[in-house]
Amino acid sequence: MLNIALPKGRLGDKVYQLFRSCGYDCSAMEKDDRRLVLRDENGKVQYLLVKPSDVAIYVEHGAADVGVVGKDVLLEGGNDVYELLDLGFGVCRMCVAAPVGFREDLSAPLRVATKYPGIAKRYYAGKSREIEIIKLNGSIELAPILGLSDVIVDIVETGATLEQNHLEVTETILPISARLIANKASMRFQAAELQPLLEALQAKQAGGEKA
Amino acid sequence: MKPIAILAGGTMEQHTDARREQLMGRLRALYESLGYTRFSMRRFEEYALYLENKSFLKSDSVLTFTNPDGKLMALKPDVTLSIVKHARRERLGLEKVYYKESVYRLSATAREFVEIDQMGVEALGALDRYAVLEVLRLAIESLRAVGGEYVLDVNHMGFASGLMEAAGLASEQKERLFGLIRQKNAHELQTAIAQEKVAPFYAERIAQLAGLCGAFPETLARAEKLAVSEEMQQALTELRTQYDLLTAIGLADCLQLDFSMLNDLNYYNGLVFQGYVQGAPRVVLSGGRYDHLMRRFGKDGDAIGFALYLDELTRVLADHSQWDADVLALYQAGDDLAKVNNAVFALAANGLRVFAADHRPEGFRAAQVLAFDGECFKEVP
Repeated sequence: MLNIALPKGRLGDKVYQLFRSCGYDCSAMEKDDRRLVLRDENGKVQYLLVKPSDVAIYVEHGAADVGVVGKDVLLEGGNDVYELLDLGFGVCRMCVAAPVGFREDLSAPLRVATKYPGIAKRYYAGKSREIEIIKLNGSIELAPILGLSDVIVDIVETGATLEQNHLEVTETILPISARLIANKASMRFQAAELQPLLEALQAKQAGGEKA
Repeated sequence: MKPIAILAGGTMEQHTDARREQLMGRLRALYESLGYTRFSMRRFEEYALYLENKSFLKSDSVLTFTNPDGKLMALKPDVTLSIVKHARRERLGLEKVYYKESVYRLSATAREFVEIDQMGVEALGALDRYAVLEVLRLAIESLRAVGGEYVLDVNHMGFASGLMEAAGLASEQKERLFGLIRQKNAHELQTAIAQEKVAPFYAERIAQLAGLCGAFPETLARAEKLAVSEEMQQALTELRTQYDLLTAIGLADCLQLDFSMLNDLNYYNGLVFQGYVQGAPRVVLSGGRYDHLMRRFGKDGDAIGFALYLDELTRVLADHSQWDADVLALYQAGDDLAKVNNAVFALAANGLRVFAADHRPEGFRAAQVLAFDGECFKEVP
C-alpha cells in the first residue's frame, strides 16, 4: 500500500483529482470527512492530509512514501527527498517586492520580511548583500507598509494582493509549482507500487502538454 | 511441581540497546575475522581539518571548542578524514582497518548536536579488484546483519563525471547538474541543461542520468548506449566486473544500479555505494572509493571504505514489545529471600526477562505474573 501525503486545502483537492484520474481513487476522500488518514477499500492507497509545510517532513521520515508539496516549502525545508515531477499546477513565483517607487539604500543592510528566511538568506548571500531578516508567519505585505521592513520575499500568484497594498515586484527569485516528492528508502522497497503511479502521472502530463 | 507454560516458548524480548550492542559485536567479529584491525582515535581534531574539507562532511555544522593553547578544536563529525590524515605517507601493500567511534553531528530533526555511534571499514593502499570486492561484500554483509530486507545501490563516479567532462562543462556547472541528478529532479535538470547551453548530443545523455536506475543488468545495458568516452566505458567495465563477482558469490540479488547516486567529486572517484534496510527511511550505509581524498592529504595509494550509521537503525532495531518484562515475579515480605532469589535466577536462566518485586509497580506490564509459593514461582490463579 502506498502512503500519499497531501497538503490540506485547495492544492490537496486538486492533487487528489489528478491522482484519482490516474486510478488512485479513494471513496473516503470524496465524502466530507474530518479524518486525517483516509484509506481506500481496495487497500491500494492511503491518503494522509497534513499541513502543507509538513508534507516534506512526513516523506523524509518515511511516514509517507510520496507527497505533493510546493517548491517553496521544499526549498525552505531543504528536506532529503527525491523530487520526481513538476506537476505544473499551483504555479507562482518567489519574488522580492517593495513599496511602489522604493529606492534601495545600499549603504545599510536591507531589512527583509518573509515567511521564507532560508530562501531569502541564500538569495541575498548569492548577491553578497547584507540583510536583516524579519521572520513573519502571515500578512507579509503589511511589513513594508508599517515600516517594519524595506522589502518582502514571498510567493506571488497574480500580484493582486501586492497591488492593493501598493507594493510591486522588484525581482523574481525563481518559479514555484507543485512537485511530487518521494522517500529515498520507499524508492527501493516500494518501487513496484511507486513506479506505476509515477508513470501514470508522467503520461497524464505528456498528454496535457500536447492538448 | 508443574512446569510453567510460558517457559516452553520463552524467547527473550530484547531492548533496542541490546540489539544494537549485539549487532556491533557481530560486525566487529566479522571485520576482525577478515584481518581488519581496530583503528581508535581521539575524540577531537583541529577544527581546520574539517573547515578545509567541509564538503566531505555529511553536514557542515561542527561542535567546536578552544583548547588551552588557543587552538580551535572540534569534536569529530567524521572518522574517515582522521584515518586518512593519520595514515602513513608512503605505503607498501594494503592497510585494512575498521572503527567503532562516536561522532558528533547536528541532528537532522532537532537543531541540536547529538552523539552518534558509527562503525566502518576502510582499506588503504594498493587496491586491487579483490580488495574492492571484499569491501563491497563487507558492506552487504553488514546490511544483512541488521536483519530484514536490504538494498545496496551502486554507481561509478566515472560515468557521470566522464560524460560532463566530454561535454566540456566547468566544475561549477557540473556541481549544479550533479545536485539535480542526485535529487532525481529530471524536470529542473532539463531546464538547467538548456541554461548551461550543453550541446544537444550530450544534453540528451545527461538528462537521462536522473532516471537511470534499477535492476543491475538492465540498467547497465541502458547505460552502455550512453557511453561516449573511454572514462565512461571503464566505469561500466568496473561495475560489470564487481557485479559478476558478486553474482558468482551469490550476493548480487540485493544490488541495484543507480547512476543518479553521486558523491562529491572532490573526494570520490570510482565506485560509490549506499545501503538501505527496510524500516529505515534514510540511507543507513554509505561508502565508496576516495582516492582523491588521499591525494588531497598527500598520501600514496588508493582507498575505499564505508560507514554504517547506527543512529539511522534505531527504528529498525526498536523494541516493539508491549511488555516491560516477560515475567513479574512477586514475593512476600515473609518469604525466604535466598530461595526467592534462586527461583528468580532459575527463571531468568530460561531466557526470560524477569522482574522481581514484592508488589506490582504502577503501570507495569508483564506478559505473565507469577507468585512465590515458598519453593518456586507459580501462576497466580
